Amino acid sequence: MYVYDDFDHAFVADRNREFADQVQRRLNGEITEDQFKPLRLMNGLYLQLHAYMLRVAVPYGVLSSRQMRRFAHIARTYDRDFGHFTTRQNIQFNWIKLADTPKILEELAEVEMHALQTSGNCIRNTTTDQFAGAAKDEVADPRPFAEIIRQWSSNHPEFTFLPRKFKIAITGAFKDRAAIRVHDIGLHLKPTGFDVHVGGGMGRTPYLAPLIKTGLQPENLLSYLEACLRVYNRYGRRDNIYKARIKILVSALGAEEYSRQVEEEWARLDTTKVDAPLAVVDHFKSFFPDPAFKGGFDAEALDRAKTADAAFARWVRNNTHAHKRDDHVSVTISLKPVGLPPGDASSAQMDVMADAAEAYGYGELRVSHEQNIILPHVAKGDLYALYRDLDGSNLSTANVGKITDMIACPGLDYCSLANARSIPLAQDISQRFEDAQLTDTIGDLQIKISGCINACGHHHVGHIGILGVDKQGIEFYQILLGGRADENAALGVITGKGLPAEAVPAAIERVVRLYLDLRTSETERFIDTVTRLGRETFAEALHEPA
Amino acid sequence: MSQPNSSHTPTLVTRDGAVLPDGWQLLNDADEASGDGPYVLGFERALRELDGLNDRCGVRIQPADDVRLLEPFLDKIALVEVAFPGFRDGRGYSTARILREDLGFTGIVRAVGDVLRDQLHHMLRCGFDEFVVKDADPAEAVAAAAKRFSVAYQGAADDRLPAWQRRLNAEAAVS
Repeated sequence: MYVYDDFDHAFVADRNREFADQVQRRLNGEITEDQFKPLRLMNGLYLQLHAYMLRVAVPYGVLSSRQMRRFAHIARTYDRDFGHFTTRQNIQFNWIKLADTPKILEELAEVEMHALQTSGNCIRNTTTDQFAGAAKDEVADPRPFAEIIRQWSSNHPEFTFLPRKFKIAITGAFKDRAAIRVHDIGLHLKPTGFDVHVGGGMGRTPYLAPLIKTGLQPENLLSYLEACLRVYNRYGRRDNIYKARIKILVSALGAEEYSRQVEEEWARLDTTKVDAPLAVVDHFKSFFPDPAFKGGFDAEALDRAKTADAAFARWVRNNTHAHKRDDHVSVTISLKPVGLPPGDASSAQMDVMADAAEAYGYGELRVSHEQNIILPHVAKGDLYALYRDLDGSNLSTANVGKITDMIACPGLDYCSLANARSIPLAQDISQRFEDAQLTDTIGDLQIKISGCINACGHHHVGHIGILGVDKQGIEFYQILLGGRADENAALGVITGKGLPAEAVPAAIERVVRLYLDLRTSETERFIDTVTRLGRETFAEALHEPA
Repeated sequence: MSQPNSSHTPTLVTRDGAVLPDGWQLLNDADEASGDGPYVLGFERALRELDGLNDRCGVRIQPADDVRLLEPFLDKIALVEVAFPGFRDGRGYSTARILREDLGFTGIVRAVGDVLRDQLHHMLRCGFDEFVVKDADPAEAVAAAAKRFSVAYQGAADDRLPAWQRRLNAEAAVS
């Protein structure tokens, strides 16, 4: 993974000093709360319903076992002994004291981490495929470019007061696991260069990003991004916070006109000053070598273990992903045990995952936007030992990609924007589908829950999306069907009236039972059946009385 | 508790920290020129009148104005005041970079309006040379902003090299 050099260390130290000074001036009354707010947000510090929340950046979701251990330490020392992994591949600490933040930032800097630009109207953490550098279907590794973008966007002097937040996602694989078309900019790295999608997003007006350029050469990436951002910074709306994202600008101009303006701006830029040349791209690529892969895999031993331990066999089936080497896999550690908040991990669990990464995963971990933890490279011969280590810490839930592997925003339990609770509903649904055999029979099905229209739980792109709304002080949930964020991205559509929380799990079960009746075979996934038969077929089941 | 910096009188200070009296007079659309000037014209008025003017003058540009419309008249302009009606509105940063890097404007670029010390670092990098800043100690605010970061990750309108360029240079010096 990327290793800080003197420049990076100096930058984070300077930035932390600046923030400590800003905190001091706020405490002295030299700046008002109104003036302080964008400054603290740019440092990842939110004021939530009950306490400050600190969101720490995990650049493109890649972290070392040492960094995971530091998260455990922070959770133990400064929070209530747990952290929450987010859909932005970051981690949030929900119970932080303002006075502790400078010390926490110092402890993070020691392990080459920070909380910069995890909030505010600036360029946020670039996200990518959680299996980058490992997946069998990968064409090119997106991580070096994610790092190049991270550096270019850090403290960018022109783009720190954008109309609204700005999120870039990048993938280099055949399958899109980074949901690039629901990002402000989605980059798809291909042998011919980048495909550039601009103007996607969720929130109250969801859009899939249109393709505005193909074949963008890697050594021109930054100047083209700079042109994209400059057109947005100048012409994005600032009169209405709900219309300020780039998706609104691109939609208003039309993709063709936006693209034309970007090309015009790009042609006028002094690209030599912006673009990292190929030699620099190679420098960044050198930070992402393959680990020294273990050989000597004994296939029969693995088969014996699977035969002897059915739960292990199921875990291997559900939680591993095809690796570019046949004797390795990528392992997903599910943070979605039945009945617990999605994405949460205790400090003890973080330590266990760090240990596991060191023992079986070449010291590397990833955070996925589905709020799980990944060991990208695990030798197949180590799977059973890994499984047993995880199993003792409630980290062996075998539900990846399944109905209980839900995305849920923090909701009304934490968030001051929320209209409804998300986490308790996710818990109720996971209890409803607790049965392992039923879960496996249903197969791949993504439920995504947001506690308000801002869509942090990605409800627009859930196969089943759930949106919490407030109706005269009562929480209701609208159900969407048919969304997906993969390479065939589509937005879900709201079906009928909202349901009270207690009616949602049963409604989902009726839809799922109908799917099981209607599917042509076990390999036709829920989303395929919905696409084939249309949402209307399922809408009725949602709302028919139990 | 001291008072917020934003309640201090706006003071003109240069990028070198010199505090100057502001000798320029703003002429809005309907204003008659009186006195000797020099004058800063509102954007629309500047576009109408610059062509016929003999003296070099100043132009005040609001966030929504397209700075590139000034291109034909740059030799008539000595000063561009880039307005920041609120510190959250970041359009002025693009305006300044376009002026400097695209249009090659060599006159004075000045930030006016809601200009607070926390914006100054970014403004320096985007090519501003003067600031009408609200702060208890404007000169110190500019000096602190200039040295706040020892490195920059990206090229901009100032002469700082992006980190990648400095890494390349360091490598070349070693080999």
